[in-house]
Amino acid sequence: MIRLQRSMIEGLKGDAITPQSVCGSLQKAIELEHATIPIYLYALYSLDPDLNGEIVRILESVVVEEMLHMTLAANVLNALGGSPRIDRPGFIPTYPGPLPGGVQSDLTVSLAPFSSQQLDTFLQIEEPEHPLNIKAAALPDGTITIGDFYKAISDAIAVLGQGAFVNPPRHQVGPDLMRESVIVIAVPSAQQAIRTIIDQGEGTSKSPEEIVGGDYAHYYRFMQIKKGHLLVPAPGNDPPWAYAGAPIVVNRDGVYDLSLASTYPESSPQAFANDNFNYTYTSLLASLHALFNGDATAAQFNRAIGLMMSLKGQAKAMAEGIPNPAVIIGPSFEYQPVNPKA
Amino acid sequence: MSYLNALRLHFAGRFQANVSTVNNDPAHFHNAAFLPGYQDMQTSQAPNGWFNPQGDAAWRLLGCRVTSAWMPAGAVGPGDPVLEAIVADSDRRPPAKLVDLDSEQQLVSEIWGLQVRIATADGTTLMAGDFEPAPFIDIWDRSTGGTDDAAAGAMYQSVLTRLEWADVSSSVFLTALKQAAANGVLSIKFNVDSFNMDFTSPDFMTGRIAGTIGPASRSDPRHLVIGRQFMATAAPNGNFFTPAGGINFCAGVVDAAAGRIYLDLGNALTTGANGAINDQGDLTLTVSGAPTSPADGALPAAPIGTIPSTGPAGYSSDPEWYARTAGVVVLPISAPLLPRVQSSPLTLSGKAGVTISEWSSGAFVRADRFVYRLSPGDRATIPVYAMQWGRPLGNAGLAFQLDPSQLQTQVGEPGPNSPYVAPSPPVATPPAALAFSGSATTNGDGAAPLTIDARDPGKPRWFKNGHDYGIDGQVYGIRPGFSNSAEYSGPDNQWNFVSVLLWSGFTPGDPVTWADVQPIFQQYANVYPVMNRFLNLADYDSVVANTWLLQLAFGLDPADPNAMPVTRDLSPARRQAILSWLKNPLPGAAAVPKAASLARDTAPKAPPAVVTRGGKSAAAARRLVLQTRKGASS
Repeated sequence: MIRLQRSMIEGLKGDAITPQSVCGSLQKAIELEHATIPIYLYALYSLDPDLNGEIVRILESVVVEEMLHMTLAANVLNALGGSPRIDRPGFIPTYPGPLPGGVQSDLTVSLAPFSSQQLDTFLQIEEPEHPLNIKAAALPDGTITIGDFYKAISDAIAVLGQGAFVNPPRHQVGPDLMRESVIVIAVPSAQQAIRTIIDQGEGTSKSPEEIVGGDYAHYYRFMQIKKGHLLVPAPGNDPPWAYAGAPIVVNRDGVYDLSLASTYPESSPQAFANDNFNYTYTSLLASLHALFNGDATAAQFNRAIGLMMSLKGQAKAMAEGIPNPAVIIGPSFEYQPVNPKA
Repeated sequence: MSYLNALRLHFAGRFQANVSTVNNDPAHFHNAAFLPGYQDMQTSQAPNGWFNPQGDAAWRLLGCRVTSAWMPAGAVGPGDPVLEAIVADSDRRPPAKLVDLDSEQQLVSEIWGLQVRIATADGTTLMAGDFEPAPFIDIWDRSTGGTDDAAAGAMYQSVLTRLEWADVSSSVFLTALKQAAANGVLSIKFNVDSFNMDFTSPDFMTGRIAGTIGPASRSDPRHLVIGRQFMATAAPNGNFFTPAGGINFCAGVVDAAAGRIYLDLGNALTTGANGAINDQGDLTLTVSGAPTSPADGALPAAPIGTIPSTGPAGYSSDPEWYARTAGVVVLPISAPLLPRVQSSPLTLSGKAGVTISEWSSGAFVRADRFVYRLSPGDRATIPVYAMQWGRPLGNAGLAFQLDPSQLQTQVGEPGPNSPYVAPSPPVATPPAALAFSGSATTNGDGAAPLTIDARDPGKPRWFKNGHDYGIDGQVYGIRPGFSNSAEYSGPDNQWNFVSVLLWSGFTPGDPVTWADVQPIFQQYANVYPVMNRFLNLADYDSVVANTWLLQLAFGLDPADPNAMPVTRDLSPARRQAILSWLKNPLPGAAAVPKAASLARDTAPKAPPAVVTRGGKSAAAARRLVLQTRKGASS
């Protein structure tokens, strides 16, 4: 379980609650949701889908929901009159390093190929405070969970009340563009959006199943890989599920040992590929920034999808050693508004 | 009005053209004969998929900087922030794409989906505009002694539209450019050369670029300068084109009011293998002594001015000259010479043997846009412009004729050292599928339409005598000229013709099933291996699992950088069938065999040896004009 600094919810308590303080927390939430995506993608890029199809499917499905969570947090932020800030250098965390708001000594996340250690990191990120069947660990003083963080935001929004919501609603990315998205116009829809984030990340205290989405919560989704079996309903068990479905076996032949492209010299083919990737990644952030700041159109959404596809193609080429099979690399996910890096 | 203007900036840097090379061999379009090895990198033993089979077609501007800027009063001073600016592609869209018209016309590759930005050094946009898709022209053997792609040079001219300006008030130059672009359009031209084909190099699939941005007029052609056209004569050897006089086709514009001529030598001066401009002696521009009226006697040719080769700012001695100028030179014209300049041919000459001139008539004719894609039933009205002494030539009789000579095919079996695996389908047949008038007369603006009515060409490029699914449609060339060739004559530019890809008619079943669309998808899966990173386009289940994404990509405007297919060679009729099928992906008859997986072998491979053959030079060597010459002599 990842522990966040208590300062993350300082503005979400009692008299400290203001629209600005809640907006500040929602900006942090967007950064936190985004920060997990590069590490999941890096692991994804290291996997051969023909040999590790189920793991690829699990990682892809989690990445898509992290994007949804970014969108939901942005919708709530916009509904409260704030403006998501995505297209800027500090938005991407430094890897290796803590997640945004994370306790420094707690968890360091890195860009690395898929491995059992990396899987443990993913489980730690997504672990609920009280995972089903697993004894709860006592939180050290002065820290909170991601779930606590979102619950505090949700409670603070209730305190702010309807008066804090911009009327008419603005800058919402709805389910017409992003499946399962929630248009936020008032306290209930804001809380519904936040509930979706918590529920998909952690599940509920009763069930590992998502309420929205039809899969298991991320923690249990990843746990299937660790347990080596799909999670399936098991009537009679308490709770009534078991890691007893089809086996999931990590095929080591289908895991590329990618080295981080940013460790190669400036004028190398690897730096060239990495620069192109990072420029496209930065373009994606700019495109999402536009999407979340008033251009919530199908055209802008399609541009973002196009950039994601371009990134996928570039990363796969890097991972497959194209054009030079002697070196296989993974991208460094750095903010780079000029190409090549200035 | 064009980039060749008193108000202009120059930029230089590198570009990437990460084209896929599997479709360089037309025989690779033969689905029934396609081998998985055609997707592998070439080796010293086997051509396979040529030198970059996994290319994704991305076309990028890399590290381009503004190198100088000019206003009517002269060079922009160092205080103007434009001199710190960069020229970049979009920072919020996927990269642009470089696209051949066809496997049998690879010599007019167009850039699609490019946005050009002038930005601060940290990437903040000052101006952004959409580059109207345009092909290269005037490809030649620029680096002396070489005939391959690395030795080639070419140029692009187009316009930027949908201009967006940030606050540029801190730059006197950009403020002036913005004012000049109040009509919403800018002119852009750039030269490309020094392409790198070594896959172990950090410069692989990149080359050098140097260009110019200036104002444009809405009424002028977009890809052509109405100006003085210097015409090169072909040397007997060479591959793309080697000018006998050492200087390639180029254009100039006379500004009579200012008493100047702007000459664009950016794609006209040869280089050494290292890219440095060769010393061809001081280049002197002269105006001929041709009599301006029958009563006058001929005068001796008069020098207008000289472009020094050596010295502190010589075009060959100063290593920064090309980047700083993009090859554009301005020479003053003395007042007494001006009337003569406006009615007599110009010649640029250097050391012995180095020379290029206008036609003695001062006339020139060319289509503005010269690459078209048509479906049966389409009518294309193509603007063709005639000019004389740099001004529109009205009431001129134009002639149009089919000319397939520069299209690329393979007559007979390929030789033992050829990278081609089989003979290519014939080009430009049936000729009757393109109906057009053989003549037209220009209006007062020097323009006349070439009107083409397209009919169904049938399936002239299917394989095994039309039995096996093959290349859609047919490619044609139509060359414009003056009908009065006695009056208007001189060396022709072989690249001066209109290329047409005419698609075949296509009627799918109703409802559309997998049987209708599978051959189309199979061909893309074969010749465009980058698709394997996303899905197996040849496999029903894989395609069905991705219908949402495919509907999005096949539904985009071709000008969108993410439009599928990247190759922009899918006819509207087939696109419609695909979109209809994606909405309701019926499997259809079970007779369609499940495609063999073309997924890459995941076992680690030893890197192949670096082989840099192939590319456009191979296509150029197969032009029909050379094939028939070879056929005739054998």
